[in-house]
Amino acid sequence: MDQYLEFSGISKSYPGVKALSEISFRAEGGKVLALLGENGAGKSTLLKIMSGDQRADEGAVSLNGETVILSSPAQAIKAGISVIYQERQLIPSMSVMENIFLGAPPVKHGLIDYKRLRADTQEIIDKFKLPIDPETPVMFLSIAYQQMVEIMKAYRRNSTVIAFDEPTAPLTDTEITILFDLIRQLKAEGKIVVYVSHRMKEIFEVTDEIVVLKDGQFVTRLVTSETNEQALISAMVGRDIGDTYANLSRNEKYGDTLLEVSGLTTSAITDVSFSLRRGEVLGFAGLVGSGRTEVMRAIFGADVVTAGEIKLDGETVSFSSPRDAIDKGIALCPEDRKEQGLVLYRSIEDNVCMPVLSKLKKGPFLDTKALEKTTRNAVDRYDIKTPTVDKIVAELSGGNQQKVILGRWTNDKMDTKILILDEPTKGIDVGTKAEIYQMVCDLAKQGLGVIFISSELTEVINVADRIFVMHDGRIMGNMTREEATEENVLALAMAE
Amino acid sequence: MEKQRVSQLQRIVRSKAFTLFVLLAVLILGFGFLSPVIKRGAVFFQANTLKTTLQDLSIPAFLAIGAGCLMVSGSLDFSQARVGAFAGIIVAAGVQWWGLSWYVAVILALALSAGIGLINAILVNELKFQPFIATMAMSSIIYAVMYLAATDKTSQVQSTINFTSPGLSKVISWSVTLGGLELPGTVLLLIVAFIVYGLVLSKTRFGRQLYLLGGNATAARLSGINAKKTSYFLFINCSILSGLAGIIYTGRSNQGSLLALANDQFTGMTAAILGGISFGGGSGGMGGAFLGLLVIKTFSKGLAIINVNTYLTNVLSGALLLAALTLDYFSQRRQMKRIGI
Repeated sequence: MDQYLEFSGISKSYPGVKALSEISFRAEGGKVLALLGENGAGKSTLLKIMSGDQRADEGAVSLNGETVILSSPAQAIKAGISVIYQERQLIPSMSVMENIFLGAPPVKHGLIDYKRLRADTQEIIDKFKLPIDPETPVMFLSIAYQQMVEIMKAYRRNSTVIAFDEPTAPLTDTEITILFDLIRQLKAEGKIVVYVSHRMKEIFEVTDEIVVLKDGQFVTRLVTSETNEQALISAMVGRDIGDTYANLSRNEKYGDTLLEVSGLTTSAITDVSFSLRRGEVLGFAGLVGSGRTEVMRAIFGADVVTAGEIKLDGETVSFSSPRDAIDKGIALCPEDRKEQGLVLYRSIEDNVCMPVLSKLKKGPFLDTKALEKTTRNAVDRYDIKTPTVDKIVAELSGGNQQKVILGRWTNDKMDTKILILDEPTKGIDVGTKAEIYQMVCDLAKQGLGVIFISSELTEVINVADRIFVMHDGRIMGNMTREEATEENVLALAMAE
Repeated sequence: MEKQRVSQLQRIVRSKAFTLFVLLAVLILGFGFLSPVIKRGAVFFQANTLKTTLQDLSIPAFLAIGAGCLMVSGSLDFSQARVGAFAGIIVAAGVQWWGLSWYVAVILALALSAGIGLINAILVNELKFQPFIATMAMSSIIYAVMYLAATDKTSQVQSTINFTSPGLSKVISWSVTLGGLELPGTVLLLIVAFIVYGLVLSKTRFGRQLYLLGGNATAARLSGINAKKTSYFLFINCSILSGLAGIIYTGRSNQGSLLALANDQFTGMTAAILGGISFGGGSGGMGGAFLGLLVIKTFSKGLAIINVNTYLTNVLSGALLLAALTLDYFSQRRQMKRIGI
């Protein structure tokens, strides 16, 4: 008997936004269904409704023809629907077995039966052929294995539907392979798998069917083997965006050397040397954890440098704090936008003017008019979609949040010479990504030196003028955009 | 434009200050009209009520300002009441036993308070203790040091040290008469302090930095805000204000007491929370804290006038705080829902 999950006429509104409107489609057992769409297309809202976190205003979800009540997460789990979020919902200090059987451990005489708990857990672990010990506290596992524990938890509950929200974002390539094996196993058992991701490659690798959403509306449903990337992108964006990279208007003229790093060494990186000219975009490629971020932190004065030299405009510098680096014209957009980049519950104005408050004073007080003007300039320059500069940053979309950070470092009171962007397009939709690439090129045209770190190979080898590849804290080599291909960059990154 | 104006009005109505204002009005009117009904001869509406309420306010007010600033930046200080008592003991022992003139004793007490703030800041910033743990530990240590300071020549610990200092009494009880109402100098000082700190928080670069630090310390630091310097300043500032509160208490009662300010241990923080300064940091302001304090003190004053006993007063005060926090929780949840988080 084939199982199926049916959405019929699901609508959901937030004040001012129609997040979903009359979404209807069916997901079948034994298949992996991809939910695809730009940020704000409604994927997350649909997942939240599935998990019982939010309630639909209209419409119903039914499993094998029976309507399921999704009024709370507990109800959804009881109905057989498990949603696995990016933020893992595990208890870090508890063991793997306690997490897998959370809320329903085997009991003997009113006490938890640890012997059976261990055996039952081992059985599930063996089924998925994972090298995990049931008694290890979850916090000692890698992020990938934590995710596996989450999946086993859903499996243990005997969930019919298992939905994944961008599961591969924090994983390395090897870990992704393990995850995909697991997903195929779930599929083979006839489970209904829903898979949300931005990454095209994965969608083609692991899914069978694709539902495309746009602005809360159902766009189309495609069979994965019968479509291609270009067709999906135009369905998501609603227009043909063409070849993003070929259309970039790049800077062609480089100035003199801005930054020269030689033999830079910290606890995480060894003997890193490179130089950056005015108007140049340097790409840093490498796997997660290869030391790219650490190089930038060292330059920025956020980590302690143990050896090596940094020359800025020919002058040897060493920064003891980010403030020093900022005053010399170096700006860093950190990797984790929400944790390290933005003060989420403050306004756009506060976030844009943060590093230059001392230049926006009138006597002892802040000059509110000047603050607003500087912010307005940044909002206009980057086309940040907001009615006012007072809007709380948390209320903006991911792409607009990233623009706020760009606006901060290039606002009219800053004198930024070097802009370091660490994974600036992470979790951002296709349309906004293209905008951000063009902004990077525009900044280079204005004579800034830009350092662009990215884990997306296609992006880094197409946007940067020169690409440095890192592995295990060292630079393995560098090449120009013309020389770089995904294959040769990846070979260096994996030190093959 | 029309739409903008409506949302402005909505913003005011939704704001915490507005809620507190309504609450305060309800309390004043409620006590005003009900007190003669509940208890014969009890009168809430009289100049004396205003004067004594304001007077009661001045000690916790300085605690609320110090605690409020720290909390906006995402930190806190549990040693406030003990620092105040300690400063009082130093003044009393200084004048009575050590033969210091009153102003030397006051300066010494404030300097020692600042020193305690410095130690708190070092514990939190250099040794990376949680502010809660660091200031709790300091609180115990101060209590022990206070015992030493309050030990007289015969090795007896005096829980209160009585002293006479006409100079200090004169300064503390100095007052001005404004429009027929006698305003004590300490009340004037607290109003000035609220205005000054309010302006610093809302209008200056330093103040804005506190909110950014409280909102996201990592992001603020990576954007060039000096978190450490700010934290040192705030801890020292908080301790000096606590010391000042203790000195006012001591000056009024003419005694240094080991238990001074014990009743107000959490009043400052409670007022700040009522006024919208959350424990997480990054929100609220001095105006809210002042209103919060007014609500707390009006409530307890009203209960005193209708002769409710102390225990019941404590129960009701706790209930008031819970009610306010519940309201706050619901309004925040509504906002979260609106954003879709």
